[in-house]
Amino acid sequence: MRKRFSIALAAVLLLAISGCTVVKPWERDMLARRDMAFESDVLEATREAHIYFSKEASMPGGTGGGGGCGCN
Amino acid sequence: MKPYGTAHEDIGLILCILFCVALVTAPAGAVSEGDHAPDFAAPMLVGDGTLELSNYRGKVVYLDFWASWCAPCLKAIPEIEKIRNEMPASEFQIVAVNLDQKQKKALRFLNKHPVGYPSARDPEGRIPVQFGLETMPTSYLIDTEGVIRYVHPGFKKGDGDKLRREIRALLEKESSETKR
Repeated sequence: MRKRFSIALAAVLLLAISGCTVVKPWERDMLARRDMAFESDVLEATREAHIYFSKEASMPGGTGGGGGCGCN
Repeated sequence: MKPYGTAHEDIGLILCILFCVALVTAPAGAVSEGDHAPDFAAPMLVGDGTLELSNYRGKVVYLDFWASWCAPCLKAIPEIEKIRNEMPASEFQIVAVNLDQKQKKALRFLNKHPVGYPSARDPEGRIPVQFGLETMPTSYLIDTEGVIRYVHPGFKKGDGDKLRREIRALLEKESSETKR
């Protein structure tokens, strides 16, 4: 019984893994569009980022202001 | 009837399966200096025909991966075109691979900024997989034997001069080896 449960669990985990994917650097075509960004206002995003950087001594982990391809 | 395994054996089994899956799904390693450049053939971005990397064997080749949505790529292209005009055409060739999913986006950019070197199109991204591309843009300097001599990830202000130095150094090395 335990072995069957383990195999079933492994199968579920494998299925779960298959749902995860890494966007390759050359697949960012759509994601690089301005309207795909969480914050599409460049000025606002830069201001927010500066607040986090200066007040909390941490770099924001979100997207760059106004979206972008994540290049360089 | 066989006895059922212990909890440790079960966990071991699961970890083994996960490890095997990780091995299978792991991305291929990026090619680097000293590796042979993977050969490829892809349709031309402009016009008909196929671009084959092996056709340029015997010349120093600068291979550039670009896309119209990649801002640093677009900064690099005019600089690469300048470099092309500065180098001897008989010994040096620039080859590009465009990775736009929509061809018209790439063509729109090239209409505004025409270049004198050929570009292949690879919307499925098969060629960057062969090279194990890790960032956009990335360019490769390939010697006359098809061996990668320099990899340049990204493109920043001032990188053009660095590329010129690398290209000239390789061209000089190749010509001195030919004279021997």
